[in-house]
Amino acid sequence: MVSYVRAVLLLTLVYLALTSNLQASNIVVGVLLAVGVLALLRPQRRVTDWRAAGTAVVAVLRYIFVLAHDMVVSGMQVARIVLDPKLPIQPGIIAIPSGCQSELGTALSAHAITLAPGEMVVEIDDDGVMYTHVLDMAHAETAVAEAQELRVALLNKIFP
Amino acid sequence: MLTTVLLTAVYLSLLIHMGLIAVAVWRVWRGENVVDRLIGVDVVSTLFVAVLVLLALISRDSIYIDVALALAALGFISTLALAKYVADERMF
Amino acid sequence: METILQLLALTAVIAGTFFSVVGMLGFVRLPDVYTRLHATGKVGVFGVVLLLVAAAAWTPLGWGRAILLIILLMVAGPVTSHALASAAFRIGLHMKQPVRDDLRPDKAP
Repeated sequence: MVSYVRAVLLLTLVYLALTSNLQASNIVVGVLLAVGVLALLRPQRRVTDWRAAGTAVVAVLRYIFVLAHDMVVSGMQVARIVLDPKLPIQPGIIAIPSGCQSELGTALSAHAITLAPGEMVVEIDDDGVMYTHVLDMAHAETAVAEAQELRVALLNKIFP
Repeated sequence: MLTTVLLTAVYLSLLIHMGLIAVAVWRVWRGENVVDRLIGVDVVSTLFVAVLVLLALISRDSIYIDVALALAALGFISTLALAKYVADERMF
Repeated sequence: METILQLLALTAVIAGTFFSVVGMLGFVRLPDVYTRLHATGKVGVFGVVLLLVAAAAWTPLGWGRAILLIILLMVAGPVTSHALASAAFRIGLHMKQPVRDDLRPDKAP
């Protein structure tokens, strides 16, 4: 029940942001649309632990900050490589174990890795090992492992 | 004064984006392999989103942003479907 | 306030155009499919996001829709890159001059 109400609230918020119209009739339309969308989906059970909500919110904020930082750094790095006349790349594919138990955690950390500077997930096998294409192998390996540890710690706090 | 500078910058940016679309279409036409051409298609749709945002900036009308939203979603889904088709040789 | 918003829009337009140009330059210059995906998948989307910031600052758009579109682009960009890279690997396109290849360890230098 709680998760159903939360999903309806989230979808209504997205609808209101999309239409940017806060009249009561529009809110009713949004709630009806959200209920309709949820009727089309399979219900998904997820236990919520309300005591861990505080740490989860802090972890979500830190995760978003890490993602934004990674995006800016990766834009700068690709710009530097492309504008260099010698094109200094050392491409390679390395295996990174994801370290998350759930499939959702693996998917989210694959998304985060693809946003991170000079890295892109090519293939994921059944054990959750992510084969990652790295643009510059020279100082990649230790940095990649450290960044993945930080992300896994944050993701484990968000989805305990 | 600043409005003129901003408008000039936006028009210049529009021109540059048109040139980039031409380069991307050339890459689709003369690509090395299938995936290369697919990347070109994806880049063309991304650049069209950018052009629509620039049109919204020129006319100061937010209706173009709605078109850009729909185009971004459609381009995303079509690129995914085409990539899956190339990889598995079937759509579903 | 108006001036600050205009300056923000101007900076964002210039930076966004720069990143779009860099992305296309990388698409043309880089040697194989995977490295090209780095250039287009990251920097191309970066350019659009900055243009959207400019649009949110200067048009009567409201930040709600702009932030929604930015979130959509940020979720869609990496997914597109990964789908295209996976398709390239499955049909047997491989890296040019790899330093190391864990997916095919026998072919590594």
